Amino acid sequence: MKQSVSIILALVVVVLLVFVPWVASDVMMQFAIDALLLAVLAQAWNILGGFTGYVSFGNSVFYGLGTYGTAIAMTNKYMQLPFGVGIVLGIVLAVLCALVIGLPILRLRGPYFAIATLGLSAAMGAIVSNIPIAGSNIGLVLPLIRADTMFYELSLALLVACTLTVLWISKSRFGMGLVAIREDEDAAGTMGINTTAFKITALVLSALFTAVAGGIHAYWISFIDPASAFDPTLNVRMVIMAVFGGPGTVFGPLVGSFILSAVYEYLASSISTAAALLFGIVIVLAVIFMPRGLANMIGGVRGKGPRYFLQNIRENRL
Amino acid sequence: MSALADTTAKAPAGRTILQAEGITKRFAGLVSVNQVSFEMVENEILGLIGPNGAGKTTLVNMISGTLKPNEGELRFEGQPIDALAPYQRAHLGICRTFQVMKPFPGMSVLENVTVGALFGRNGGEKATGKARESAREWIEFTGLSHRIEAKADSLGGPDRKRLEFAKALAMGPKLLLLDEVMAGLNAVEVEEVIELIKKMRERGVTILVIEHVIKAIRSLSDRVLVLNHGEKIAEGDPAVVLEDPRVVEAYLGRRRQ
Repeated sequence: MKQSVSIILALVVVVLLVFVPWVASDVMMQFAIDALLLAVLAQAWNILGGFTGYVSFGNSVFYGLGTYGTAIAMTNKYMQLPFGVGIVLGIVLAVLCALVIGLPILRLRGPYFAIATLGLSAAMGAIVSNIPIAGSNIGLVLPLIRADTMFYELSLALLVACTLTVLWISKSRFGMGLVAIREDEDAAGTMGINTTAFKITALVLSALFTAVAGGIHAYWISFIDPASAFDPTLNVRMVIMAVFGGPGTVFGPLVGSFILSAVYEYLASSISTAAALLFGIVIVLAVIFMPRGLANMIGGVRGKGPRYFLQNIRENRL
Repeated sequence: MSALADTTAKAPAGRTILQAEGITKRFAGLVSVNQVSFEMVENEILGLIGPNGAGKTTLVNMISGTLKPNEGELRFEGQPIDALAPYQRAHLGICRTFQVMKPFPGMSVLENVTVGALFGRNGGEKATGKARESAREWIEFTGLSHRIEAKADSLGGPDRKRLEFAKALAMGPKLLLLDEVMAGLNAVEVEEVIELIKKMRERGVTILVIEHVIKAIRSLSDRVLVLNHGEKIAEGDPAVVLEDPRVVEAYLGRRRQ
């Protein structure tokens, strides 16, 4: 019942969002495309970090591979392929990378997994800087195109596809398996869950959506370099947004990323010098008062109003 | 010599479901389980006892697949299982509970048991709706219906054990390994668990019970296997084995002359 209400609500929001380009200003569109792509990244991260419990700092690798796959396909003088094919190449690179690194790296747990993925994103940036076909450390310039409406609708479609995937995960046998792995991986194994296969599938799904977001962003921005494509702070933002909204929920990461994007944009435009500082304070307060994210505050079974925050503080001994 | 002679007192009758031959497990020089061989026949209850550190849990871990033996062979229904991962053994119907309970803490009781139904024997039930229904039945069976929506980490000791049972049963086990499910329960609760185990056996499940509660072992087991320092020191009829001087000595020490 409650679920169907939120689904109808989500449908209405999506339909309204489709028409935004006809009313929004140029500046507004820049913000909207950015926010949508960030929401995709947070939602894709949610599949691995939220549902499976593997806190990844390597998703920026998939983002970067999506970015470079698209850019190379479109700009390389022997290829000059259309945008759509570029995206596919980006996906192929990211998924291959997920399969190859998934096997060794998903054996690690907790902080060790996080550290390994962090190292991976640093390594990838360095590797790409030395590949001539990827423009070495100078980067690549993509064909210029002014089509904000197209980029906006593409990003929105991608976000919807990613969220539908997560919705399916939350209701499926596959998703139950992922959550069981998150809760206790050894017990999940002895209960008949092929943990390796499940984790790698989650990683591949996460990589896929992240790569498409990277590809769209590359064409939209039309210039990429290793530093921006494999930017670890982008990964930090994915994690913050998903965790702020509620990891392991369907709509939490969306709400979290929209709110944080808006807060950041507001702070950056009104008090540009101290924006990063204030943004940091917002995140610290959020983690103290609602460590399980917005979704838990709304849908949880715990106290209401101020009592909710007090309970969190007491439980976490702050 | 007297101890092992007991095997003939009540030779296991029926089809062999599990065969262990010369199972040995070493941890960096410490021999935890040493050349243990035994068989289990279909639908029997085998009690596995021994003092702390005797290697009981290690043996169960090797049967369920979380540990690999250094030597020896395990066969389940005639098929060697040493190369199989824990999840593959679960698909064959080997299910276990953990001495330190391992519920999925953030999931509700119903969700916990549903995982068992979704992934157990033969890969489990593929449809989530059906799995949920069978999970409800097992929760009813174990007497946990009143807590069905509760989060697993909010359950008290006895209910946690019930949950552990329900999860294992929902997997459709052929062979159920129960690792100290009665530890920490009071006399009434022990009685309830004994009844529960008997009810499971009536459903055709073969059960290996690790237990320190000797009263429970006595009333449940068809046969008893005793480990001490990783070695099998006795096997056979509980009434005989539990009076065996070597077994008494292993538990209580030598009687002073």
